[in-house]
Amino acid sequence: MESSILESIGVEIIGVMSPVSICMFLVVLLVYALSPSNPSSSSSIRTAANLVYLESPTDSTSEKLEGALLNALVFVILIALVTFLLVLLYYYNFTNFLKNYMRFSAFFVLATMGGSIFLSIIQHFSIPIDSVTCFLLLFNFTLVGVLSMFAAGMPILLRQAYMVCLGIIVAAWFTKLPEWTTWVLLVALALYDLVAVLAPGGPLKLLVELASTRDEELPALVYEARPTVPRNANASSLGLLVAGVSDSGSVELQAVSRGNVSPGENENRASSDDSVVEVDSFAKEGGQSNGDEGQRLLPVDRALGRHSSSSDASEYSTVNVPSDRARQFGSVASEIVADEEEMSPLVQMSGSGNERDELRRDAAEMFSRGIKLGLGDFIFYSVLVGRAAMYDLMTVYACYLAIISGLGCTLILLSVCHRALPALPISIALGVIFYFLTRLLMEPFVVGAATNLLMF
Amino acid sequence: MTIAAGIGYALLALGPSLSLFISVISKKPFLVLTVLSSTLLWLVSLIMLSGLWRPFLPLKSSAWWPYSLLIFTSVLFQEALRILFWKVYKKLEDTLDAFADRVSKPRLYMTDKMQIALAGGLGHGVAHAVFFCLSLLTPAFGPGTFFVDRCSKIPFFLLSAIIALAFVTIHTFSMVIAFNGYAEGNKVDQIFVPLVHLVAGMVTLVNFASGGCIIGIPLLYFVAVLTLLHCGKMVWRRLTENRHRPVM
Repeated sequence: MESSILESIGVEIIGVMSPVSICMFLVVLLVYALSPSNPSSSSSIRTAANLVYLESPTDSTSEKLEGALLNALVFVILIALVTFLLVLLYYYNFTNFLKNYMRFSAFFVLATMGGSIFLSIIQHFSIPIDSVTCFLLLFNFTLVGVLSMFAAGMPILLRQAYMVCLGIIVAAWFTKLPEWTTWVLLVALALYDLVAVLAPGGPLKLLVELASTRDEELPALVYEARPTVPRNANASSLGLLVAGVSDSGSVELQAVSRGNVSPGENENRASSDDSVVEVDSFAKEGGQSNGDEGQRLLPVDRALGRHSSSSDASEYSTVNVPSDRARQFGSVASEIVADEEEMSPLVQMSGSGNERDELRRDAAEMFSRGIKLGLGDFIFYSVLVGRAAMYDLMTVYACYLAIISGLGCTLILLSVCHRALPALPISIALGVIFYFLTRLLMEPFVVGAATNLLMF
Repeated sequence: MTIAAGIGYALLALGPSLSLFISVISKKPFLVLTVLSSTLLWLVSLIMLSGLWRPFLPLKSSAWWPYSLLIFTSVLFQEALRILFWKVYKKLEDTLDAFADRVSKPRLYMTDKMQIALAGGLGHGVAHAVFFCLSLLTPAFGPGTFFVDRCSKIPFFLLSAIIALAFVTIHTFSMVIAFNGYAEGNKVDQIFVPLVHLVAGMVTLVNFASGGCIIGIPLLYFVAVLTLLHCGKMVWRRLTENRHRPVM
């Protein structure tokens, strides 16, 4: 009995959604655990995000709104400036400088901000630990983090874990911003994201294009969904599904429906006969990687095999050997994807702000590199959920669902138009809308019914 | 006692669905997506309903008839939504089958279809438990508990967790029944599902009477067990039928 297609569809979407979910979940836990302990200090931090106006609970609504708008404006301008600076540096090939700067800043973020969060956790739960041990642990944690992000040969799982970690740490700091500023800031960032990725001349668009013309990794901190083995099958499955619904002639649809040859063929930027070859290299990869991936590989492999035997053999000369692909593959698994510009505490917001949004995937690149999600997306999703967590659990669930569905929409869009897309706008818009709907409409309804023990 | 109690209430309401999720759903990414989208659908329906009822809130807690009206409209709305969900699913099924043909994998098995229905139902059930029980549970993690006047022997959180468990069961398995009923054109099943939902909702009205929860909750569980049995019987029938036939 062959495995059903249910198991192969959506793997990549889940691959992106699960780290985002983990990140949000941990931020919510952190907010819940730490917020009661320091209610007074929560409003006192001063970052790049509230340079202009410091909210105080006594201010009138219009004052708050005005101040929040100003804050958001200044912050977005800061981000835009820093992003342009980075693009400029990248354009003139200061890649090493960028890398080292990002190494330094990742170290800094993990050590200081992470350290202070650990400290407050230790205080809050009164964990008995002496300062030397604590320092040693923190130092090791940080070093491994920096190494795993910027050195070759680290397991990708570790790098993904540290990406999520960085996201959590920065997001936990952002949740300390005052309420109005947070909301306005999120909306402003979503709008900025939209412009920066899609508008001609937008800094992130420039960055992505530059990176793809040089055929380099993006010089930014991005989360990379694991380049798992049957990626090509998944990619095409998503594309096909969407194409089947929307009937748009995406590359994948054309590739497969034309010949109905093999899912692998839709990466036909390389020569037409490497579909089998790719499978070979996949098989090797599958052998190396863990068991379930190997299993998932099998049906694809078999399907392809059957196809190749039934269609004419000339297409599969199997010549241009795995070496090329495999090498590329091998290197991808261990390569340094991300250098980054996470920044000093003050700039750090701006830095993280501008990594956001690289969801990139070209038809050809896609399967070798997987989906990428900027770390900034993690951060601001989590900020939204963390902010919602300060009100009620109900808003947390609503916002979580909204953000995840927004992410799903973005991913589907991604498979329709093969280009980098901003991941913030849809999710943030849905998240904000659902937050206020839940808070204003749903809560009285549900609480009223549930406290009377009425359910349906 | 505090954190333990909170986690205990949460697991009481969601434990079965959690194990269902881990053992069946989480292995197949598509089912996870189904759960998520059906949860979202339920949330949207809840928001629309509360938008509808918002002008009349808060209801006086002495009279029970406005609440019966509320439950009636809600159930009606959600059952209408279930039909919509079925229509969407039908389209999706065709797409999936076409896709399976293209990559020359087997079409959806009957168990696959049932699993999709289960995932959809689980999404509804989880959304119910999350919004009606879990979201009120925050105080349960702190010291102290809360009692309602009408059922003063049992803590409110425990009560709502128990009721939520019954509803999770009903929602989860009535979706399987409904999808199967639509697919077979079986009128009994198609009517059975809204009826069960409505009866279950109305039974909670018994809780209005002082001490009514002693009667209301067993009645509710009777309905839940009935749904479970019906679903089990139906699935068993389909599976044995299917075994006699050659595999499609």
